[in-house]
Amino acid sequence: MEIVTLDGICKTYPAFRLNNVSFSLESGKITGFIGRNGAGKTTTIKSMLNLIHTDSGEIRYFGLPLIGHETEIKQRIGYSTGTVSWYPRKTIRQIIDVTRRFYPNWDENACRHYMELFSLDERKKPMELSEGMKVKCNLLFALSHGAEVLILDEPTSGLDPFSRDELLELFMKLKENGVTILFSTHITSDLERCADNIIYISHGEIQADCPKTDFMQNYGKPDETLEEIFLRLEREARA
Amino acid sequence: MKTLLQKEIRLSASVLSYCFLAAAVMTLLPGYPILCGAFFVTLGIFHSFQNAREANDIVYSALLPIAKTDVVKGKYLFSVMIELAAFLIMTLLTLLRMTVLADAQPYRANALMNANPFFLGMALVIFGLFNLIFIGGFFKTAYKLSPFVPYIIATFLTIGAAETAHHIPGFGACNAFGFEHFPLQITLLLGGLVLYIVLTGVSYKIACARFEKIDL
Repeated sequence: MEIVTLDGICKTYPAFRLNNVSFSLESGKITGFIGRNGAGKTTTIKSMLNLIHTDSGEIRYFGLPLIGHETEIKQRIGYSTGTVSWYPRKTIRQIIDVTRRFYPNWDENACRHYMELFSLDERKKPMELSEGMKVKCNLLFALSHGAEVLILDEPTSGLDPFSRDELLELFMKLKENGVTILFSTHITSDLERCADNIIYISHGEIQADCPKTDFMQNYGKPDETLEEIFLRLEREARA
Repeated sequence: MKTLLQKEIRLSASVLSYCFLAAAVMTLLPGYPILCGAFFVTLGIFHSFQNAREANDIVYSALLPIAKTDVVKGKYLFSVMIELAAFLIMTLLTLLRMTVLADAQPYRANALMNANPFFLGMALVIFGLFNLIFIGGFFKTAYKLSPFVPYIIATFLTIGAAETAHHIPGFGACNAFGFEHFPLQITLLLGGLVLYIVLTGVSYKIACARFEKIDL
């Protein structure tokens, strides 16, 4: 069942154009979103969160258009990024105490569980956390309100191999519980392990959108890893 | 509304917004352009906007399950709260100067503006200008703080005009002591209040429309 649908999304900047981006996310699946820097991943994600205005196209969650149902949709989705830290001088507990008031579904037990799992100290401030711990902190907020769809923008960047492994385990467990995950990353080996589907974007256009096995078969050569396929496709596109 | 205000107070406000409330006590200073107190109060609110920008508060708020106009509303609620708190302090101190201290020599010898209802009305006009020019201007981009410059210019022109008013023949009643010219003074205060409400309301509408249009 398609739980998120992007249909013909276009967005033009002076030096970049997101061109007719269309894809859907299936319920309870992990979809890897790959592409080099500047390919359009973050612009696509921002449009999915209504942080930017698209020139045309439509985004639907749970069958509802994002425009007009933003508030109820945002109750049911979570977003995490590895690149931004919110309120660097407030303690994690202070941020939680305010944020949870916006979510009727906020689960304080789940929050405590993930805090323990991620070894986060609620008395710490985001400015005192390492990059990897900031990612975990952002994930904590996304996971504590029972999001049905998780949009993750480079969630494993900056994490040590052990933490990455833990996180991938967690994503797979969430998937088993029916959570839909869009996982944008440069670390393609993570996707090799956990993704069901792959969406590949280049120069603002979707080049591939299919199950991971089909992607490996259709675009890869024998014994090539996902990273090797990705690198070769980018080199071929540049040539 | 309560949740939005709590977010502003607990996450994005700068402690300087509360510290600068003390500037409202300038109402008691003789021989000083006491309307500057209203300006310093808004300078404190400005620090909260700076703080919010550095904490990525606008994007965080836009990601919460609230309408985009609620992000704007939160900022207005906080600013109006500080402005009204300052106005309350100024009103109490003005009443003190109008009653118990009405005949105190330093105030009688004061060449500058007296603390009276006209002063309170002008303080509200300054708060209204802050809301219109600075907050309304801030939401053009949701990160540039530069609208504070035209606000400073507008404010000091307003303070200059208010300080000059009672020196112009026929406008002496603006500088009334105690309860002199009370009906006129109350009318001027009400005029200031109406302007504050109109400027803030118009500014809120403009800010919402601007914030809807921008990409974060």
